[in-house]
Amino acid sequence: MSNDLAQPVTQLDGQGLKKLIEAGLTWLKTNQQIVNALNVFPVPDGDTGTNMLLTMQAAYDEIATSGEKNIGKMSQAIARGALIGARGNSGVILSQLWRGFARECDNLPLLDSDLLVKALAEARNTSYKGVVRPVEGTILTVGKDIAAAAAANQVADLKAMLELIIDAADKSVAHTPELLPILKQAGVVDSGGKGLFFILEGMLRYLNGESLDTALMTVQPLAAMQMDETMETVEPGQDYEVVVDFRPKEELILDQFYNSLMEMGTSIQVGEGDGIYRMHIHVPTDNRYLPIDYIMEIGTITKVYIENLIDQMEQIEEVKNRQLKLAPVEPGEIAVVTVSPGPGLSRIFASLGVAAIVEGGQTMNPSTKEILAAFENLPTDKVIILPNNKNIVMAAEAASTMTVKQVAVIRSTTVPQGLSAMLRLNPDMDFDTIVEEMNEALTDVETGEITIATRSVTINGVNVAKGQVIALHNGKLIQSTSSLEEACLGLLQECETEDRERITLYYGDNIVKTEVNQIVDRIRSAYPAHEIELHEGGQPHYQFIIAVE
Amino acid sequence: MKDDKNPLGNIYISHRAISTIAYQSALESYGVVGLAAKNFTEGLTQAIVKDPAMGIKIDFNGNAIKIEMFIIVEYGTHVKSVAASVANSVRYQIEKAIGLPVSEINVHVRGLRISNPD
Repeated sequence: MSNDLAQPVTQLDGQGLKKLIEAGLTWLKTNQQIVNALNVFPVPDGDTGTNMLLTMQAAYDEIATSGEKNIGKMSQAIARGALIGARGNSGVILSQLWRGFARECDNLPLLDSDLLVKALAEARNTSYKGVVRPVEGTILTVGKDIAAAAAANQVADLKAMLELIIDAADKSVAHTPELLPILKQAGVVDSGGKGLFFILEGMLRYLNGESLDTALMTVQPLAAMQMDETMETVEPGQDYEVVVDFRPKEELILDQFYNSLMEMGTSIQVGEGDGIYRMHIHVPTDNRYLPIDYIMEIGTITKVYIENLIDQMEQIEEVKNRQLKLAPVEPGEIAVVTVSPGPGLSRIFASLGVAAIVEGGQTMNPSTKEILAAFENLPTDKVIILPNNKNIVMAAEAASTMTVKQVAVIRSTTVPQGLSAMLRLNPDMDFDTIVEEMNEALTDVETGEITIATRSVTINGVNVAKGQVIALHNGKLIQSTSSLEEACLGLLQECETEDRERITLYYGDNIVKTEVNQIVDRIRSAYPAHEIELHEGGQPHYQFIIAVE
Repeated sequence: MKDDKNPLGNIYISHRAISTIAYQSALESYGVVGLAAKNFTEGLTQAIVKDPAMGIKIDFNGNAIKIEMFIIVEYGTHVKSVAASVANSVRYQIEKAIGLPVSEINVHVRGLRISNPD
């Protein structure tokens, strides 16, 4: 096909189609991320843009070196390549569209508008045959709409045909949210349909001699604006983020709009939804009000957000530093996953080298799935789980049966047992030895827990009234008293603390520090020869978790 | 049957309920034109069955669901991609509707339906 723009094109041969395929592929590649961003179906093969691109790439690879002139043979080769390379749902449907197209072109030498109409109809028919319950509002619908538009408005000029096909595709894509509610909820159009649109648009851009490797300045759906990501890359001169929602007085001329904004700052994004536009820009401090003044002139502003990015970045850094530093795991190493009931305890576990933490404990047992998820993605196949609660042991054991990894559950029923087991972790030892060591460590420590009774009950011969302080020794109720101090001291007696060396107290999120200090002072005077440590555990329900070693 | 404790009692979800979700989601998945009987005694493997329980087998693996599906695929599609897509969407729909993890899903392509020989 010639690139002479003025001449109507009435016939297309195999080589012409090859050029168009290449153009469609290139334009899809340029716009791949836009298509990916539209995806709303959160499945692993969900990157529609990438899937369609791989499919088209395979189609082009099949014909890249072909000198075939016959349109039928060329389209058969394209269909074959697309079939082999089909990835994901949209890719498979795209390959079916090409298959139908190729079947109609059969062995014919040239494509004219009659054949194009028939081929698009056959493409549609073939694509619909591949599914029992076609979901409308997808690439299927777009294929159907362009076939209908081509049949209804047939002209001899193939370029004019392509223009009207693209127009139909554009309208069809814009209509997809009306047909598929999930799209409407997410505020996006169908990604597969949009991908098909880009392939067709690339063909036309090629015919018009327009560039194919730079993305257009486009207005994207609001939901597809990815502002969080742009924040990560703050550079000098991007001191403020300004976001303005507005309704333009007249139709927005995008090129002009972008050009004006580019004089003010960088990271420009424009989104649209329901007639409201959203402009996003990063500007240096001096320019922070310019975009607002400018937009005021061309429309009605409904909302303005200004954020100091430099300050925000500093805060993000701070939060990052405060986050837990979990032990990195190399393939083949042993990873320990622990359940922790409070942030303070999580920090202590992290400092001892656990690789993953699942939040949970009494009355907030994590599910098997959560435990599984914590270690399934770690890059090693040797995992040790510390459930640290008797109600979680079961879930941990269930998780261990649901993976191909080698998993050992240490049946730790209290946090001190878990910590004590953690101290035995030695990366130089083999898996079985460590598991054995950790199991032994469970008996090294006596655990005490102090909490308030939530109901009246008699267990193990101990009468408890609701609201009393109760002490549990290794999970067993041993005492109920009226004060925390008494409960702690009684508990320590029960733990045969006299014969041991060290007392560690982890205080919960339901007790004030001054009270904690008073109690610890009392314990110090009762056990002057012992080493006494105090840590913030942050656990709910339990005022104290106490380890005696 | 599977029970899942809640504070008031137990929740039971039947195999049939789970296979119905899998069936609906498979039929909407591109390239799948039907379910096949899972064994010879239930019919010829090539015949398309209408009963979800016949083409889908549900097992439990602890608290997780294990699924075997027997499908018929449209001739001329990329069979592996179709099978991968149906596995993904069935897993997604079941986990969304039931809330239990799907630990394993095996898709058996029992036959191809030829609408258009090329």
